[in-house]
Amino acid sequence: MSANYTRNFCIIAHVDHGKTTLSDRLLEYTNTVSMRVMTAQHLDSMDLERERGITIKSHPVTMTYRAKDGHDYKLNLMDTPGHVDFSYEVSRSLAACEGAVLLIDAAQGVEAQTVANAHLAFSQKLKVIPVINKIDLPSANLELCTRQLEDILTIPAEEAILASGKSGIGIVDILEAVVARVPPPRWQEYPQTRCLVFDSLYDSYRGCIAYVRIFSGSIKAGDMMMLMSTGQKAEVKEVGVFMPKMEKIAALGAGDVGYIVSSIKTPADVKTGDTITIASKPATEMLPGYKEVRPLVFCGLYPLESDDYEKLKAALGRLRLNDAAFVYASESSLALGFGFRCGFLGLLHMEIIQERIRREHDVEIISTYPSVIYHVIKHGGDLIEVDNPVNMPDPGTMIEIREPTIRAQIILPNESMGDILSLIMEKRGVCDHTDTLDMNRVMLKCSLPLNEILVDFNDRLKSITHGYGSMDYELGDYMAADLVKMDIMINGDPVDAFSCIVHRSNADNRGRSLCEKLAEIIPPQMFKVAIQAAIGGKIIARDNVKEMRKDVTSKCYGGDISRKRKLLDKQKEGKKKMKQIGKVSIPPDAFIKVLQNN
Amino acid sequence: MSGLATAQAKASSAHAPLGLYVHVPFCASTCDFCAFYQTQPTVDGVGAFLASTAREAALVEWTRPVTTVFWGGGTPGMLAARDLEKLAETVRVRCGGVPDEWTVELAPGSVTDERLAVLRAAGVTRVSMGVQSFQPSLLDALGRQHSLGQIDRAYERVRAAGFSSVNLDLMFALPGQTEAEWAADVRAAVARAPDHISTYCLTFEEDTKLWVKLSQGRVKLDPEHEVRLYEQTWAQLAAAGYGQYEVSNFARPGHACRHNLNTWRMNEWVGLGPSAASQHGGWRGANIADLDQWQIRVARGERVTEDRVALTPALLAEDALIFGLRTNDGVDVAAWRARCPDAPWAAVEELLGRLADEELATRAGPVVRLTDRGRLLADSVGAEVMEAFSAGLPVA
Ligand SMILES: Nc1nc2c(ncn2[C@@H]2O[C@H](COP(=O)(O)OP(=O)(O)O)[C@@H](O)[C@H]2O)c(=O)[nH]1
Ligand code: SF4
Ligand SMILES: [Mg+2]
Repeated sequence: MSANYTRNFCIIAHVDHGKTTLSDRLLEYTNTVSMRVMTAQHLDSMDLERERGITIKSHPVTMTYRAKDGHDYKLNLMDTPGHVDFSYEVSRSLAACEGAVLLIDAAQGVEAQTVANAHLAFSQKLKVIPVINKIDLPSANLELCTRQLEDILTIPAEEAILASGKSGIGIVDILEAVVARVPPPRWQEYPQTRCLVFDSLYDSYRGCIAYVRIFSGSIKAGDMMMLMSTGQKAEVKEVGVFMPKMEKIAALGAGDVGYIVSSIKTPADVKTGDTITIASKPATEMLPGYKEVRPLVFCGLYPLESDDYEKLKAALGRLRLNDAAFVYASESSLALGFGFRCGFLGLLHMEIIQERIRREHDVEIISTYPSVIYHVIKHGGDLIEVDNPVNMPDPGTMIEIREPTIRAQIILPNESMGDILSLIMEKRGVCDHTDTLDMNRVMLKCSLPLNEILVDFNDRLKSITHGYGSMDYELGDYMAADLVKMDIMINGDPVDAFSCIVHRSNADNRGRSLCEKLAEIIPPQMFKVAIQAAIGGKIIARDNVKEMRKDVTSKCYGGDISRKRKLLDKQKEGKKKMKQIGKVSIPPDAFIKVLQNN
Repeated sequence: MSGLATAQAKASSAHAPLGLYVHVPFCASTCDFCAFYQTQPTVDGVGAFLASTAREAALVEWTRPVTTVFWGGGTPGMLAARDLEKLAETVRVRCGGVPDEWTVELAPGSVTDERLAVLRAAGVTRVSMGVQSFQPSLLDALGRQHSLGQIDRAYERVRAAGFSSVNLDLMFALPGQTEAEWAADVRAAVARAPDHISTYCLTFEEDTKLWVKLSQGRVKLDPEHEVRLYEQTWAQLAAAGYGQYEVSNFARPGHACRHNLNTWRMNEWVGLGPSAASQHGGWRGANIADLDQWQIRVARGERVTEDRVALTPALLAEDALIFGLRTNDGVDVAAWRARCPDAPWAAVEELLGRLADEELATRAGPVVRLTDRGRLLADSVGAEVMEAFSAGLPVA
């Protein structure tokens, strides 16, 4: 089979528009997975992915399809993560393809992620095949969808294929379109071997497994390979393809999608976006688009029980093996003891990692207030990066603080416009474009400080728009802002875990609501507990934890002494499940609860 | 206060008080709130109970005279007059003299002239009557077996029999009870002029019918309401001349229950009968809470088989604080320090200082007492005391 009978494509869609269901149909139709072993949604294999309906890891698969022209085609389907947190991963998966099937839910129409993904595909010069999916739904609105295709995405309406992953409509049309419209593998003629790493997996027996798309040349077991970003060399132990389980083959050639097992044991050495070449005959140019991924969001993670420190450390290490975008380093907090500063691609990424620590590694953790990376310009012009509010230098030593911003596109129903504009304003955003999408919806383009969307922006967008609003974003520039560090003190002791950077104009509000919230979350205490918010030592808000009023066993005669002791022991044990800050017991979820709807 | 100090310091000496508790495990039926061990009486069961009680008493190493006796239950009044007499005989044989105080709990329905005569003759000085409420509807709601008329007839008989001290037990925070209704109950009790009144806040103990109702959401807890009821009770009884001497106990001068005070001060007492607890001869523990199993053990010469712990000065000091702080006399910290110098007193003193700073406790010389606000938090205080004893480093 020549590479000219290979097609590499992906499916891109807004969440829930039916990507996984359709992929499963394609696998089924091409007999890649027999009906018997087919579990619904074959490609989302991680529990968490299945539960949340999101894709975190790539799940490439090779299918064979006999087209109407009589030829057998090798179709490599790349399932890509859809969430904005993973946009770099998405871009690398797209870079491994020549075409993209763009799904639009016939009942929902174009949404923010549809637009963002379509633009990503265009920028990778992929051939986009529009598919209007879920046409079996009574509420399907084909006319609206085709018009949006033309107006918003400038894709000719007649290119659209009508399909239903659920009812199996349009499956052959899609496969035929992939064969006919997606170009054969590009850059095959490049004189040396070049393989794009679009993901990787750590296996405790085999070490790092690179997921690759071969653009030119070939690679086989025994070759000495080289990673072009670092020049690191390693021996190839095995190559293979995804059927969808890994299957060893003799060699990978131009156009192929597969995996490479090498002698590399350190996951961080195999970077997504890197180019693998053959050491003896190396390529001179890397494949385009390689970037060092850098985490955008940071928070401290601490074991609830300090005895669990080693367990947490092991959990982080294991998670990192399969997730190069997640970084961590040890740190300590006055309030929380020894823990780790962790960096994530975004809030979803942060939530997923925290959830996996709790679930798969069984460690109860406390997370501090999330932070972005601030650029602080010191007197004398030095720029320092601050990812933990605790480390924010004294205001007297700096000229200004710059914060990261994002460019967001938000799609929403017309009637929510007023409320969303106030939300954007409250979050210090500026809206500079408004496009009408259809009779009912508009698309806003705006700039927002990244910090402001971290905690509850998406939840509030969803609640204001009754679930119909959607947002996508890319990173913007760093901008100077009037930011200050706010400390929270419990009985006069600063609790560094609650420190945050806020805009001066928001400080009073934020301080008040944080104090109120904490006063509400901390259970009534016997001793007085004051909660204060302070900026530069000046108190801007205060509140008191409710006083405990009654906790007494009424009847306590001689016979009860042992029982009473047991009761008090239980009470004492209960306290151990809390985080002790000075003399105050704080329930571990307080740290998360204060983050919610400020 | 020096009296209290010496009493505590000499708890184990030959002159120290010694209590004797007898658990009479019979009740006609089970009250909704009850977590005590009790069972339905049968002729054989009562006979065996009396025989085994005598046998158990014989197992005890009596080293000094008993100063106070308390018969509780269950309902001791369920016993027939001649059975009461037998039980009294067992007690008298072991007492080594006439006790200063001898209390018997009697349900109003069980008060007869015959029983009272037997008890008076035996040397009983104090009768404690479980009234619980003067409101017929609330009595019903508790699953109690007596009427308002019975209460008054019983009270008059007890008074006429000439016992030197009479207590009425009341309960509050009953489901649906208002503050006014409870005030009326307290007034009704005061109007009968008992020497002692105990007021118990209804507690939801596991393994009671009431607990089941609570967990099914049929009864609701309202701590703020309970606080108001507590405060109202304390004020009302103080105004009526009943001095509070413990969270739930009030007495006219000279009528505080010495037996209970003795246990709260961590002195010694011997408990007889199924489920009865003892603190005596270096051990604390309880008998098994089962009539048959208890008899089997006693027959084998075994008693205090459950929850046994060796008494150490530190444990006693800790419990003297936990239970003593519930009393209005408070605790003589210096006396306990002298008796048990190795306990983590620095941590304890730090805690007591904090309690005083927040006006949860007061300090007068060596004696610490809780304030009214502190007493309402006695369990939290107790938990802190335990923590101080377990976490605090011993003073060098
Ligand atoms: N009616 C209908 N529902 C579909 C269709 N395809 C997917 N769904 C449903 O839409 C939801 C999201 O599907 P999924 O494939 O997980 O979407 P993904 O998030 O894009 O991967 C699920 O409840 C599917 O059952 C379709 O063609 N018709
Ligand atoms: S009479 Fe007393 S011991 Fe008997 S069931 Fe009622 S509360 Fe319990
Ligand atoms: Mg999916």
